[in-house]
Amino acid sequence: MKAAQKPVIAGHEKDVDWDKYLAAYYEKPRSSLTWSGLDVKEVYAPADLPPEQYKDVGDPGQYPFTRGIHRNMFRGRYWTRREVIGMGSPQDTHDRSKLLVDEGGSGLNTIADIPYEMGLDADHPWAQNEVGLTGVCITNMYDMETMTADIPLDKVSWSLITASTVAVVTMAQYAAVAKKRGYDLKKLRGTVQNDPVHFRYCGFRPACPLDLSVKLGADVMEFCTREMPLWYYTTVNLYDLREQGVTAPQEVAFGFLIARLYIDEMIRRGYQVDDFAQRFAFYVSCHIDIFEEVSKIRAARRIWAKLMKEHYGAQKLSSQHFRFAVHTAGCSLVPQQPLNNIVRIAYQALAAVLGGVQSLHCCSYDEPVCLPTENGHTQALRTQQILAYETGVTNVADPLGGSYYVENLTNRLEEEIYKIMAEVEKVGGMYEAIQSEWLDRVFEKEALARQKELDDRDKILVGVNMFTTDQETATPLGVQRIMKASVKQQIEMVKKLKIERNKTLWKKRILALKAAADRRENVIPCMIAATEAGATTGEMMGAVRLAFGYPYDPLEIIQAPF
Amino acid sequence: MKKEKENKDRKIKVLITKVGLDGHDRGAKVVASLLKEAGMEVIYLGMYLMPKDVVDAAIDEDVDVIGLSLLSGGHLVFTPLVVEEMKKGGFDDVLLIVGGIIPSEDIPTLKAMGVHAVFPAGSLTEPIVTYIRNHVRP
Amino acid sequence: MSKTSATEWAEKVKANDRMAAAKLISAIERKEQAARDVLKRLLVPVGKAVVLGVTGSAGAGKSCLVSCLISAYRKRGKTVGVIAVDPSSPFTGGAFLGDRLRMHAHGRDRGVYIRSMASRGYLGGLARGAVDAMRVMEAMGHDVVIVETVGTGQDEVDVARLVQTCLLVLTPNMGDDIQALKAGIMEIAQVVVLNKADMPGKQKALLDLEVALKMRRVGGEGWPVPVVPAVATTGEGIDEVMDQIERHQVHMRKGDGLEQYAFRKAEKEGSVIIKDEIERVIFDHIRGTGLRRNYLDRIVAGRIDPYTAVEEVMALFIKKSRKKIKVQ
Repeated sequence: MKAAQKPVIAGHEKDVDWDKYLAAYYEKPRSSLTWSGLDVKEVYAPADLPPEQYKDVGDPGQYPFTRGIHRNMFRGRYWTRREVIGMGSPQDTHDRSKLLVDEGGSGLNTIADIPYEMGLDADHPWAQNEVGLTGVCITNMYDMETMTADIPLDKVSWSLITASTVAVVTMAQYAAVAKKRGYDLKKLRGTVQNDPVHFRYCGFRPACPLDLSVKLGADVMEFCTREMPLWYYTTVNLYDLREQGVTAPQEVAFGFLIARLYIDEMIRRGYQVDDFAQRFAFYVSCHIDIFEEVSKIRAARRIWAKLMKEHYGAQKLSSQHFRFAVHTAGCSLVPQQPLNNIVRIAYQALAAVLGGVQSLHCCSYDEPVCLPTENGHTQALRTQQILAYETGVTNVADPLGGSYYVENLTNRLEEEIYKIMAEVEKVGGMYEAIQSEWLDRVFEKEALARQKELDDRDKILVGVNMFTTDQETATPLGVQRIMKASVKQQIEMVKKLKIERNKTLWKKRILALKAAADRRENVIPCMIAATEAGATTGEMMGAVRLAFGYPYDPLEIIQAPF
Repeated sequence: MKKEKENKDRKIKVLITKVGLDGHDRGAKVVASLLKEAGMEVIYLGMYLMPKDVVDAAIDEDVDVIGLSLLSGGHLVFTPLVVEEMKKGGFDDVLLIVGGIIPSEDIPTLKAMGVHAVFPAGSLTEPIVTYIRNHVRP
Repeated sequence: MSKTSATEWAEKVKANDRMAAAKLISAIERKEQAARDVLKRLLVPVGKAVVLGVTGSAGAGKSCLVSCLISAYRKRGKTVGVIAVDPSSPFTGGAFLGDRLRMHAHGRDRGVYIRSMASRGYLGGLARGAVDAMRVMEAMGHDVVIVETVGTGQDEVDVARLVQTCLLVLTPNMGDDIQALKAGIMEIAQVVVLNKADMPGKQKALLDLEVALKMRRVGGEGWPVPVVPAVATTGEGIDEVMDQIERHQVHMRKGDGLEQYAFRKAEKEGSVIIKDEIERVIFDHIRGTGLRRNYLDRIVAGRIDPYTAVEEVMALFIKKSRKKIKVQ
């Protein structure tokens, strides 16, 4: 007699591992540490939150601003939905910027490509392969004009994360265009990242000698304080520090110490802290441990307020504010199962909003693969919009305030941050820590530790070391490629400009810039004049570098043309 | 299995480098450390290098593996240039590995250009080490 | 390279063919027979090249200094070959060969050849491979050969025997270490460079060094060892370092200094090679038999002492080996 045949069931053919299922049913988390490694209790209770502590917490809008810098937070105004955009030629970037505004973005935010970030012109022999690959390349005033064409500069708030190294140039180019279009600089709103010191850790070391970084950073601060008082002249970049693999308290500790280098320089130049600190801002990461990130932000607010008031003597409340933009953590995203990234980004955006962010950029899910596609970019914006309009998080200021856990974690992180700052002081201060490469060693150590956590499964990354699938063969919604034709056209235009400009005027202005740099004056006014005469990014930065004893070209390939 | 054991005794020399202007070196440095801990001899060449610089160094050091770290979309531009230099220098019997920000669509293209393996961001250590041990020239 | 005969290979190396030299050094590191055959054909006239050693602890700035020396020699139109040795991890066997990165300014200069090497388990003393690689560098025809070492005590002493002029690199914050330095190391250097001389503690370090050097027996050389402060990252002091090197070279080459060097080198090279060979040959003999492990286990268990164990292995070898041993 024939044995009974097994019924053929279409669909899932693989055998299920029922033991594995049972294990999952009873499974416990492997770790009870925060992302940054802090040990936390199983539960927090009123005993952890004595009422007398509240005076060190304060109401929202009240010193020390733990609960937020505004009394009613988002009820008063939503955070700015500001997606970072930068790709191809200035025209390409312009078009994508307008698209996102059309889709509901409420702020413009532009990022530079690597040549611009190094201070190279698009026609530099080494730049040509990489123009427009990771951002926009603005070689001269006309590029800036193209990028901002038919956008009302007096109505928008423009964040220029163009390039910290060349923030002086960016401001000069923006100001020159604004002047040409008849705007009053004093009425313009926006932000420029301007944190040249941190930029050396993004790989631009030859372009960022430490002394020049501090000087130029302060030049931008000074120029804006005098000429563009509504402009945020720096967003000290804690985000890129975090991207090196460091922990949440390290991110804040190192970032604040870098911020102090600029403040100290301004004070050395004779400014009072209340003259300029209202426009001081930060660029912060939001990683995936929601409660840790919220607590980190709250601790940062408190520390900054105390620092400004007690150490620098700031009297105005707005000088004591820790105002910040968030860029969700790029390093937390992976190319495996890329749609998972949308979820990660959503949680990180939630943390940012619960933390009281002023302006938010959500990564697009294809971040670990390519520049954002139109769809990816729009998806990121939608993430923000769902958060803003659907979830109710905007109803109340500092909704997690008063949580026994979050208040405790805020205190813990504050302690950790102060500890790390003390460590840096022991090494000789932040300037020395950077100069001696002490900070490099910290970054290398942390980056290695993060990798080992994944290898050893001390941290789980879904799709990478758990629940893995075969490697993708295609990216959902496609890959953004750079339009080679438009980039090529931009390079040609730069070459043409260098031939066709009024050489006499150009030479006069560029030498004036060098002379101003020689005299250690603020370089921006001369840069504006030079850029109006057709001087390029590379030429202007080169002139300043020469004045400080550095080679004209950070890569030491081309010579000064003057 | 036997091949992996043999290769465990043999010292594998690896050159890890960035190419072009991109300066994001966190991944390259981490991979260099991990390969060292796996018993390999690693030269980290740094950044601001052109394809010829990379291959010249690889020849001078007679490495077994060239590892390129590319994070700025330059993989389709720089990879063929490196492969060309390897051919020109008569040094094309070494493993060529690429890591970084690489869309999965481009992996077949890179392989067709002469890349042996691609390890995008998010790769764990063990697959990289195993691959090198199993495929390096004897 | 396997198809090339040893003679052809040697000719290529002597003609400064970098790939041939690179592959030869790899073959040397892998202890291949073919490498020995080529090395036998690379007889180098002693003293044709200037051979320098650069030693000192990790972090002293050796690589930076070497980079400065390369620049200085290149300005004088000299070609330079560099062997940069880094330690292999005793646990994993891996190595991070990081000296080259500090010399990256010379990466494009075809008049400079830099080769990184790992010490590969040589617990004390310069790696055998590095010794052979020096011969290759000289045979290639470089005007100057520089060996940069790991910086452990024993290999510093080895380097000193194998080079003409040995530079010891120290820094001011090694103050206490200068006191504790073994006399041997202070005796062997011909030029002491106090690098990172812009750091606090420079004056004290200079004083300490003066005292330490005064205490040293002035050997047959009759050369008073100078201490040169320098800052390798900026190039400060390098002219003076070069000056001292040249002065020592002149001193060494007049009289019988060069002969003494040749003798020292032959003695040291011979000693390194023969020790390496003997160990290799004897262990080759018992490889794969499990005998080594067996002896080690018995020593650990206290059933045999190490001296008797070695005697037995040697006796076994002598008894079994009938054929003439070929130096590989």
